Amino acid sequence: MEVCEESEGARTAAQRRAEIRRRKLMQNSEDRMKKIVGFSQPEDSSADRSARSALEPRFHLDLERHEPWSGSAKRLSPHPAETDRSASEAAGEEDSPRELPASPRRGLKKYLSRLDDAMKLRGHLAGEKPAPDRAGTEPDDLDAFCLFRLAASVALALFVRIFVCQYLSIFAPFLTLELGFMGLHKYFPKVCLCFGTDNVEKKSQATVLTAALLLSGIPSELINRSMDTYRKMSLVFSDLCVYFFSFVMCHELLLLCGSDGS
Amino acid sequence: MAAGFNWFLVLSCVFLCNLVKTLLPSISSFLSKIFHKDADQETEMRTEIQNMRMELSSINMMDEFARYARLERKINKMTDQLKTLVKSRTAQQAKMKWIVNIVFYIAQAAVMISLILKYYADPVTVVPSKWIAPLERLVAFPSGVAGGVGITCWLVVCNKVVAIILHAIS
Repeated sequence: MEVCEESEGARTAAQRRAEIRRRKLMQNSEDRMKKIVGFSQPEDSSADRSARSALEPRFHLDLERHEPWSGSAKRLSPHPAETDRSASEAAGEEDSPRELPASPRRGLKKYLSRLDDAMKLRGHLAGEKPAPDRAGTEPDDLDAFCLFRLAASVALALFVRIFVCQYLSIFAPFLTLELGFMGLHKYFPKVCLCFGTDNVEKKSQATVLTAALLLSGIPSELINRSMDTYRKMSLVFSDLCVYFFSFVMCHELLLLCGSDGS
Repeated sequence: MAAGFNWFLVLSCVFLCNLVKTLLPSISSFLSKIFHKDADQETEMRTEIQNMRMELSSINMMDEFARYARLERKINKMTDQLKTLVKSRTAQQAKMKWIVNIVFYIAQAAVMISLILKYYADPVTVVPSKWIAPLERLVAFPSGVAGGVGITCWLVVCNKVVAIILHAIS
């Protein structure tokens, strides 16, 4: 009888121990899962917290706090001393596990949105026709306005060499010409050869550089404005080079004709 | 007289460099054709594969399965060999293109540097300094001659103009 009671007691104790072990395993499985997914352990004790890496930022949200919020030392503290202090103070706090997943989730959302942009841009770049290797540095095709600019620069250079250069600098008429171009620009229809339409639209070139700038967080408006400014400056520089070249050629030809004549 | 044609010499050099740059792809493909010895073999293989495919299409798989399978295996083997050949040819072409580009850029740099050293102190042409005011110092760099057009300014201008002309032509 006693043996039976003892064995029953032992079974019950064994069962109890098994039950405890099972519960422990179940609890640990949750923790293990959270570790795998990337969330830190929520129900750690303060001793475990202090043993964690010093670089890990720790967030504490005290819902039962009655004092006014004194600063960021308790909320965000990457320094180990502060985090230990705040860890010891927040031993009874809750909701820190709820705060911890929010920042990785936000970061994940931001990453995913950037990834979407990157995939779209990649598809767009892959779908674009690859531009052939050009000898010149002109980023755009020579449309009607560009040709008009170049022709006008040449004509002005010849005119200035023959009639004007004795009286004033050659760059003054050039500046006047550029000011005139700024006003005449809107009267020229810009033909977008890549789309095959005659709409007056800005041709947006999605290059690898603009894609990289977009993905690094620079607003697209700023990129477009900078590219537009750069394009205009390069046009002015081209006009200046053509103007000066035509002027010098005309000067040399006149000298040659003058020396041949004499 | 020779001094009066310095600007023309610089212009010609720049024009030649840019012209050769435009023709670089053709030059590299021409050279790779010369150095590639297996071009005939590749053409023969392609013709043979095409003939075998025509023969395969004429054979009924149900009636002459063994012959069909044998021919198909032959086609597959030859296709693999052709792929290997094409791969090596492509690699050789890329290598040749790389070499031609490197040689060209070294030659271009040498030409430009020699021009700059030759005309470092002398302007390529001279105009009255008041014509190019207020940029006479910038235009005359590095010669320092009043009213002169320095080699750097002339090189930049010629490069730009030649690039525009060649771009318009091509």
